Amino acid sequence: MCGINGILAYHYAANPIDRAELVRTRDHMAARGPDGAGEWIAGDGRVGFGHRRLAIIDLSAAAAQPMLGADGRLAVTFNGEIYNYRQLRNLLERRGHIFRTRSDTEVLLHLYAEKGEAMVHDLRGMFAFALWDCERRTLLLARDPYGIKPLYYADDGWTFRFASQVKALRAGGAVGADPEPAGQVGFCLFGSVPEPFTAYRETRALPAGTTLLVDRLGGGEPRRYHSVAQVWREAEDGAPARRGAAAARAMEEVRAALVDSVRHHLVADVSVGAFLSAGIDSGALVGLMRDAGRQDVETVTLAFGEFRGRPEDEAPLAEEVARLYGTRHTTRVVTREEFDADLPRILEAMDQPSIDGINTWFVAKAARELGLKVAVSGLGGDELFGGYPSFRDIPRWVRLLAAPARVPLLGRLARMAARPLVGAAGGNPKLAGMLELGGSWAGAYLLRRGLFMPWELARVLGPDVAAEGLRRLAPLRLVADALRPRPRSAHGKVAALETSLYMRNQLLRDTDWAGMAHGLEVRTPLADAVLLRKVAAAGAAAAGWRRDVPKAGLALSPSRPLPERVLLRAKTGFSTPIGQWLQRQGLPGNAGTAEASASRRRPSQAPHWSRQWAEWLAAV
Amino acid sequence: MRLLALMTDGFGRSGGIARYNQDLLAALSQSGAVAQVSVLPRFASAAPATAMMPALPAKVHQLAPSPGRAAWAVRALTLAARERFDALICGHLHALPLAAAIARLRQLPLWVQLHGIEAWQPPGRLGGLYRRSLAAAALVTSVSRYTRARVLAWSDLPPHRLRVLPNTVDARFVPAPRSPQPPELAGLAVRHGLEGRRILLTVGRLSAAERYKGHDRLIAALPAILAAVPAAAYLIVGDGDDRPRLERLARESGAGARVVFAGHVPDAELLRYVALADAFAMPSTGEGFGIALIEAAAAGVPVIGGSRDGSADALADGRIGRLVDPHDGAQIAAAVIDALGGRHPVADAARQARRFAFDRFASHVDALVRTLAH
Repeated sequence: MCGINGILAYHYAANPIDRAELVRTRDHMAARGPDGAGEWIAGDGRVGFGHRRLAIIDLSAAAAQPMLGADGRLAVTFNGEIYNYRQLRNLLERRGHIFRTRSDTEVLLHLYAEKGEAMVHDLRGMFAFALWDCERRTLLLARDPYGIKPLYYADDGWTFRFASQVKALRAGGAVGADPEPAGQVGFCLFGSVPEPFTAYRETRALPAGTTLLVDRLGGGEPRRYHSVAQVWREAEDGAPARRGAAAARAMEEVRAALVDSVRHHLVADVSVGAFLSAGIDSGALVGLMRDAGRQDVETVTLAFGEFRGRPEDEAPLAEEVARLYGTRHTTRVVTREEFDADLPRILEAMDQPSIDGINTWFVAKAARELGLKVAVSGLGGDELFGGYPSFRDIPRWVRLLAAPARVPLLGRLARMAARPLVGAAGGNPKLAGMLELGGSWAGAYLLRRGLFMPWELARVLGPDVAAEGLRRLAPLRLVADALRPRPRSAHGKVAALETSLYMRNQLLRDTDWAGMAHGLEVRTPLADAVLLRKVAAAGAAAAGWRRDVPKAGLALSPSRPLPERVLLRAKTGFSTPIGQWLQRQGLPGNAGTAEASASRRRPSQAPHWSRQWAEWLAAV
Repeated sequence: MRLLALMTDGFGRSGGIARYNQDLLAALSQSGAVAQVSVLPRFASAAPATAMMPALPAKVHQLAPSPGRAAWAVRALTLAARERFDALICGHLHALPLAAAIARLRQLPLWVQLHGIEAWQPPGRLGGLYRRSLAAAALVTSVSRYTRARVLAWSDLPPHRLRVLPNTVDARFVPAPRSPQPPELAGLAVRHGLEGRRILLTVGRLSAAERYKGHDRLIAALPAILAAVPAAAYLIVGDGDDRPRLERLARESGAGARVVFAGHVPDAELLRYVALADAFAMPSTGEGFGIALIEAAAAGVPVIGGSRDGSADALADGRIGRLVDPHDGAQIAAAVIDALGGRHPVADAARQARRFAFDRFASHVDALVRTLAH
């Protein structure tokens, strides 16, 4: 829920903050919070917060934000949900804290008073918040472990500004729009702008799983408190391998963890619906929602006229799943005409350049039409349970190419020699770089997920921007950072890479802007730090899971398991005609994107392509 | 902490960078975290105490200057090798590669201070070296937000390591009584043939190599200014090799009779020249900060500065003085006409300029130097 922003004039030379600017930034995010708006400015005019509210927990005016502590020492502006807020509240009440509302927001104030910055370790949920400590005169920013909720900031050397959206910061009028070459290059490499960069030099993303403290000297270095790689690594280091009956228990532990996560993600004072596709993740979640006690679930599936009667159509199977779990189900058909009509609004809502997110736009729109404020999404299942082909391909490439990649310059020479051949044959430009990149985990990931390859950027962006952007972004280092500390298992490594890069920078960000544009909160029970810890532990403990945590485990986890047809269909992948629509339309103001969607190799969209690749690999 | 400061200009020198360094050293000497500062200047007064030179602040120890670049570098290396320091301060971008090398060799946290135009672009072919050296710094400070943004654009420094530490305004600059005009001001006006005039003032070097301060743009605006304010005159304080060109421009503008070149004015006398002015303008495009702007504002004179450089900091985005586009002659003329005609749109500027007082600077320096301790 919600959109947040704030301004802190931290430097002694800075002017007091400008209320009009605060309100401009806040109201640029009106769609994020249609239920209310608030602002707070400290008496000395040095700090102020804004908030747009989408009311979901404690709908009363008492829970409005920004919220001040009873003694006036603390102020908070908060976007997200703390799913364990009732447990935290009980603990805090036992320690003598007195609450004035039933909101999760107030829990943040008391928890900070109790623990300071270390409070983030206790929070389960999706969140981005800023908390002003009037006594210490510090501003604390924090973002959830996965980066489900966005938070951007700009520090000009005198004044620190933050907001839920890049475009909202710019709308305030004090943050510049010089392009960031690292952001441009990152977008071309990955299809989304990788944090901490944004499309603009002056604006940065607070990385997922970090906190940032602003004091009289300005914004500090973001401090990491959660790393997906570390969770996998610690699980692998900590668990003795179990076999036989003990290993079978691992499946039961995963199931219990899934039910627990779903139950937590249903906390709300409004009704919670679900996006339902024909895939395993969303179907299993709907089954688990029922297991968690929700009898009255509203589900929505996206369908396309082009696909009617064809195998790509998800509607029939989704309807079968809906019948199985007894949901109130809606199939929402999206047409090319609706897409064309919505495209300007989509581009307006798209906070940063992205080659995805449009399907989320339409399914969120459909959910909102049904009156839903909250919907559960299966996002995160592929990263946790190894649903992408990358879980198979990347380890294989690294194994095959690690030795030749150690020969100095061989990879570069091979790329230079192969490029004209590959180009002439109309082949994939990535092939040429196989030997150069495929031998390391970071390089192999870049190959697998890459939209353009680094050596193609000079043509796309011009040589100067490409060179500067590559230097500033350092893509291989960026990818390698997602493996710190390095998980031992192949599954752990790929899971950490996919979760910390593709899911964080692309899927979750797209889900945020596309959902929030309709005032719809999307919840992701499969992207949950507690669930991750439990699944990693169970996976590490079960012999045989080290390379493959089975997706079937998810399908079988509801007490009434998913039909086998869903499992079988999952292997054929899913697709939308949006790629074609986009290609025909071209994306105004987004140079390169039409080409991008054409040449993008998404595993789900081009299974034949990965086969070609496998053949080529076999021939090496 | 024991600090080693490598500086181009130390005590006993004048000019913007020297003044800044002296303020920085004075502030460090006040910090409870600092035990000693050893300053190795390239240029400084060799005699430890001349009439020109204020007494060294406590805890500050200035070594004899070494103008030769190589000799200075050798002395810096020797000093760092022989004595124990806890941190290294590099007072100028040009000394950065040397300072970074010493910091690496001796494992010292490095604080780099950047001033203005020299840091706006990477130094030519050595860009890579400077970029790497800067990235090795624990702390970088720049005089303005503008300089900071320019440095962030070419360097790969993470933004949180680049802080702004503005110039300070000398406490001597306070509003002078205007009416009746004190006799020494009247005398000064007579000396320059300015009695009864509405005086527009610029203070700054007249450098042919730089030419960014906007004297020429003001001379070009004079005919329009005189048409609206017939009593106007333009007083230029400062000297340099660009003066002949500016004098020629003044003659050619037809307003030459109203342009007065006062030449170099010693610091002690500068206050009186500022007090004489009815408006101060410097529509510059190359200020790291623009200290002259706040000095005039602190003295109660309406100030006009350029909007495209560090002047926006000195004028606090318009709270201390009026910002104009330095490339827009009409805007410059209009702002000067308003100021000379008593319609300057900035209130309370002298008090606002006090935000740059030394005690606030010193408190900030204290907080900054403490970040090097851990």
